[in-house]
Amino acid sequence: MHLSSELLQKRGNNPRSQENKQDEEVWVPDRRENETRANMGSKTWADLAAEMKIFLWNPEEKTCLGRTAKSWGLILLFYFVFYTCLAGMFAFCMYVMLLTLSPYTPTYRDRVSPPGVMIRPYLNGFTIAFNVSQPNTWQPYVDSMHHFLAAYDDKVQEEKNIECISGKYFIQGGNESEEKKACQFKRSLLQNCSGIEDPTFGYSKGQPCILLKMNRIIGYRPGAGVPVRVDCKVQKGNESDLRAVDFYPGNGTFDLMYYPYYGKFTHVNYTSPLVAMHFTDVKRNNLVPIQCSLNGKGIINDLNSDRFLGRIIFTLSIGK
Amino acid sequence: MKSPFCSLSFSLSFGIQDDHRLSASELETKYGTSISEGLSSAKAAQVLARDGPNALTPPKATPEIVKFLKQMIGGFSILLWIGAVFSWISFGIQLAQGTVSFIDQLYLGVVLALVVILTGIFAYYQEAKSTNIMASFSKMIPQQALVIRDGEKKELPADQLVVGDIVEIKGGDRIPADIRLIFAQGCKVDNSSLTGESEPQSRSCDFTHENPLETKNIAFYSTTCVEGTATGIVINTGDRTIIGRIASLTSGVGNEKTPIAIEIEHFVYLVAGVAISIGVLFFIISVSMRYKILDSIIFLIGIIVANVPEGLLATVTVSLSLTAKRMAKKNCLVKNLEAVETLGSTSVICSDKTGTLTQNRMTVAHLWFDNQIYSADTSEDQTTQPFDQSSPSWTALSKIVTLCNRAEFRPGQENLPIMKRVVVGDASETALLKFAEVILGDVMNIRAQNKKVAEIPFNSTNKFQLSIHKTDDPNDERFLLVMKGAPERILERCSTIMINGKEEPLDSEKAEAFQTAYMELGGMGERVLGFCHLYLPENEFPDTYSFDTDSMNFPTSNLCFVGLLSMIDPPRSTVPDAVSKCRSAGIKVIMVTGDHPITAKAIAKSVGIISATSETVEDIAKRLNIPVEQVNWREATAAVVNGMELKDMSSQQLDEILCNHSEIVFARTSPQQKLIIVEGCQRQGAVVAVTGDGVNDSPALKKADIGIAMGIAGSDAAKNAADMVLLDDNFASIVTGVEEGRLIFDNLKKTIAYTLTKNIAELCPFLIYIIASIPLPIGTITILFIDLGTDIIPSVALAYEKAESDIMNRRPRNKRKDRLVNEQLAIYSYLQIGIMQSVGAFVTYFTVYAEQGFLPSTLLGVRVNWENNAINDFEDSYGQEWTKYQRTYLQWTGYTAFFVSITIQQVADLIIRKTRRNSIFQQGNKVIWVGIFSQIGIALILTYGLGHVTALNFTPLRFQYWFVAVPFAILIWVYDEVRKLFIRRYPGNHLHPIFLSKENITNFPISSLLLQAGGTRTCIIKTHPHHCLLPPYGDLLPLLTKPLLLECPVCAISSMGSPHDGVKEFHDYEKK
Repeated sequence: MHLSSELLQKRGNNPRSQENKQDEEVWVPDRRENETRANMGSKTWADLAAEMKIFLWNPEEKTCLGRTAKSWGLILLFYFVFYTCLAGMFAFCMYVMLLTLSPYTPTYRDRVSPPGVMIRPYLNGFTIAFNVSQPNTWQPYVDSMHHFLAAYDDKVQEEKNIECISGKYFIQGGNESEEKKACQFKRSLLQNCSGIEDPTFGYSKGQPCILLKMNRIIGYRPGAGVPVRVDCKVQKGNESDLRAVDFYPGNGTFDLMYYPYYGKFTHVNYTSPLVAMHFTDVKRNNLVPIQCSLNGKGIINDLNSDRFLGRIIFTLSIGK
Repeated sequence: MKSPFCSLSFSLSFGIQDDHRLSASELETKYGTSISEGLSSAKAAQVLARDGPNALTPPKATPEIVKFLKQMIGGFSILLWIGAVFSWISFGIQLAQGTVSFIDQLYLGVVLALVVILTGIFAYYQEAKSTNIMASFSKMIPQQALVIRDGEKKELPADQLVVGDIVEIKGGDRIPADIRLIFAQGCKVDNSSLTGESEPQSRSCDFTHENPLETKNIAFYSTTCVEGTATGIVINTGDRTIIGRIASLTSGVGNEKTPIAIEIEHFVYLVAGVAISIGVLFFIISVSMRYKILDSIIFLIGIIVANVPEGLLATVTVSLSLTAKRMAKKNCLVKNLEAVETLGSTSVICSDKTGTLTQNRMTVAHLWFDNQIYSADTSEDQTTQPFDQSSPSWTALSKIVTLCNRAEFRPGQENLPIMKRVVVGDASETALLKFAEVILGDVMNIRAQNKKVAEIPFNSTNKFQLSIHKTDDPNDERFLLVMKGAPERILERCSTIMINGKEEPLDSEKAEAFQTAYMELGGMGERVLGFCHLYLPENEFPDTYSFDTDSMNFPTSNLCFVGLLSMIDPPRSTVPDAVSKCRSAGIKVIMVTGDHPITAKAIAKSVGIISATSETVEDIAKRLNIPVEQVNWREATAAVVNGMELKDMSSQQLDEILCNHSEIVFARTSPQQKLIIVEGCQRQGAVVAVTGDGVNDSPALKKADIGIAMGIAGSDAAKNAADMVLLDDNFASIVTGVEEGRLIFDNLKKTIAYTLTKNIAELCPFLIYIIASIPLPIGTITILFIDLGTDIIPSVALAYEKAESDIMNRRPRNKRKDRLVNEQLAIYSYLQIGIMQSVGAFVTYFTVYAEQGFLPSTLLGVRVNWENNAINDFEDSYGQEWTKYQRTYLQWTGYTAFFVSITIQQVADLIIRKTRRNSIFQQGNKVIWVGIFSQIGIALILTYGLGHVTALNFTPLRFQYWFVAVPFAILIWVYDEVRKLFIRRYPGNHLHPIFLSKENITNFPISSLLLQAGGTRTCIIKTHPHHCLLPPYGDLLPLLTKPLLLECPVCAISSMGSPHDGVKEFHDYEKK
């Protein structure tokens, strides 16, 4: 006991105590923090708000969020320079990378082949449902077909494209950057499904035409010399629901002369060849799931994960 | 202050029945037992069934299921659960809408839940493993008790004892229950584990005190019988014993959160805050960009998953347990993993003296004969004694030491080193026996040759011990009388003194010399014994003389004084070094002991707790020859506080003392005062480590930030209350523990910095995906594969990193300032390295898409069509058409490429995080290679091995894409090397906040402070062998401690540069 009480007494009459006291102020930072910490507990919201205000803008030290304008300026300057340099490096890398690419052919085509398949008309999905007696139910399909086939008008084709020799790949050598010729694919080739004779593409009779197109792949030669043929069957259901399908042109083949495709920069007027499927006798008032697939060498049409690879599944529902 | 001990003695005395007052026969009837026959087995079984086994109920553990659930919802888990629930909700909505194609959401939700559960199980397993170590430890020695039952003596496990059993105890046994003695012979018990008093107390059958705690006829559970034998009736078992009651009181002292738990919580809040605010921000952005709410929720999940370092908490657990293992090898057994780091942030150690700082055995330290003091070797493994043994006085003295001694070695230990042999006898006699054995060789043989004919053992009234022997000299028929005892008493009985083998009359001059030596040895805190002898004249005491010790028919005065021997419990040889390490590590070592202040001070001085130059108030008074009251108490850096003084002090006065003295010894303290001291230190904001062994220490151990129990001397209650157990009871082990703790804190910082960096590279894809509508660059599942796959081993490898500078040369971290994750670290990781990584990964991403036909310009804004399942003729930049699945597959290729880029850049990140200041060329670590190879190996397996498992979203990647991000990896490394160079070259630069160096400033080794002398008036602080810190250094001032300043020559800390309040204060501060 004697120790501390004396110590306490000594404080006042010691010549050095004043000086020492100052030492302590400096040397015991923990203690001061303790006090502030203790005070924190009893703070009101008003105090907190005031403190927040000071933090946001301290007029005495002229700091915003605890930093002076100079400090903020330096930091912003640093990050500006830093990110500019990074952006520069990014841009440079992208530039170099793009330089290595050919503008006409992508470096790799392994992910895009073998080709996928799409149909027209395409509205919001793969169910084509209409009632023959109600034109407004099938008119959108007809409009879609007309719109799509506009590029295949005989006149347009004759004007832009050349006639090619059927049954042979139309290989065009020469410089890669040269513009490539495209073969004519006239709408009239689709005969009953061309929309020329029957502008409703059979929809008004309950015998809808559906166009099938193979995805374009640069340099791809489908069928390896034998034209790829299309066939359709009922998918998982009564085979008799689908009694007759007509294919145009030919037997539902994609002529070799339309291949290979040279890319949109050089093969400017290229129009994908089509196969029209005329469903002349399909069970009415019923959902008929139909799978149309490509058949040919190198074509894959039975991949579970990709139901649009070499085949397409759609549903016909034709009402009265 | 509310101490559990306020009510202790009341409740304890209340609890003990009146058994100490009852006579033996009354006890027999009370407990239905018989002193000669004991209980019958049937009755014992009956009582056992009623009272339960005689063991302390372990402290109520949290139920395992609660612990498990805590792991499930703790930390980031809650965020991930939110993610999972959102996934399921969005799946539910889609299901209700009839879109079945979104199985992905269900799948993602399941994966997230699985991640939480698996990491939870892992953390739980780790936790359980370290608890099990402890459990096995306490079960090591089953205690046996000798019981009389059915009239037979039986050895039974102590936990089978019941009230009323008659037990027999002998020296060396642990008392198996609370026992009322009915027979005792020379029985002494060591109650130190209960009361903290180290002196053995005698026990008898007499009722000596009203208070059952004071009376001599009760022996308490878990105390030890030091010598003698006793028989007693068991009156309390298990939790009803005194010890049991104290143990249950201990559980009332709350467990505080460990510093590392606080740090991790802080870190979790920080990251969760970032995750949630970015998530919500982008949720709002995406909603206002007219994304569907459902899509926005999916984005939110992605952002949360990208932001949460899923694997980090598991990594931290592994790192901590690795360190715990390392510490266990160094004899620190850690019970609670988090305590590993607590030791590292310790700023005050309150240490026991006996056993921890000292060897816990009396050892001869000094001798005085021929008017001269000789020192003896007190190290642990003394084999010879170096002092001059040629004097004939020594021969005489050694004979007395050998003969006048009742201690004996237990037989069968001839092969053990002398110091390790077990001795039967009290502490001083043991010390003398071993001392003699070391110098003279076979003591027992010498005793046999000098046959003892009579003996008076030591007792407290005459304070001496005497024996009479035949001599081994066949020509000498005289008997030799040898005597030892309290020096002043011995001197009283002497008339001559032996100088150089010759008896000289004991004149006042020689008596004065004796007094000086006695005072000197006593002043060193040593226990001094005097030795004298007398050859009995042959004519008066012939060979056949029969000595009678009761009538004392032989002379006991006018003897010949031979010399003094002083003994002390010497400090362990490793302790002074450890204490000085603590000092340079900024850790204050406070000694708290029940011993006498003089002894305590002597030991404190010899181990350096009180340094050689510092003085207490009393020392100054003595030096200046003024009364203690006139001393300026501020000049005294050391203080020895007596427990009696402490008792009357207010907590404020205690604070004054703790604050104002750097070297403090608390002597004569009771164990409960330890609690007060610990609380005092904690009020100063210190992280306090406490060592203890007794039961009464357990509240202090529990109260301390880290309680350290002694593995050898410690009681079970102490071990239960402690966070750590020192297997070798050695203070030096604490210091190695501190070192490991500090290292792991540093390394965890590195681990976290490493882990946080790639979060940005995981997050940016989502942000850009939302804003620029590009195909998603990286999937949620892929992110999980980084966080829980490639990144785990490297982050653990960082835990093997060695210290960069001497970590034991800096102050303990300031709990409130040196955070595990601070602003700088987060900003540097997020805004600098993280952004670089993202840029590198995006370059790879765009390269993959461009080479497949989608130029960057095409990709912008394609998201809606890209993700439309119905569009199967999606046109790329070259006019080719893609099905949805082909696009998705390409997207997965993108994921893989992004993943690979992050992995490659994380290698660079790992390399830069290895060190925070030093260049990579300055520091190697082989484990880091394991990290790098594992990272790349796992990435290879994922891409090529599992590339065909579509559920994992990996595809076999073209080999060249592995190298696209390499320039960025190199950039990261070079950038960081430059940063480190900058920090080393220009410490204290104000640009440092950008470069993550504030923490470096606060952690610089302060012991290397150099103040330039003389007129230049600059202060240079050495931070590195080649670099100095120049003003302004305002941040550093709080770190300069007073003793450090005093070390400096003429101090001229200048206020050059930016003036700082503190600097002015110290302008022209002069060394006293």
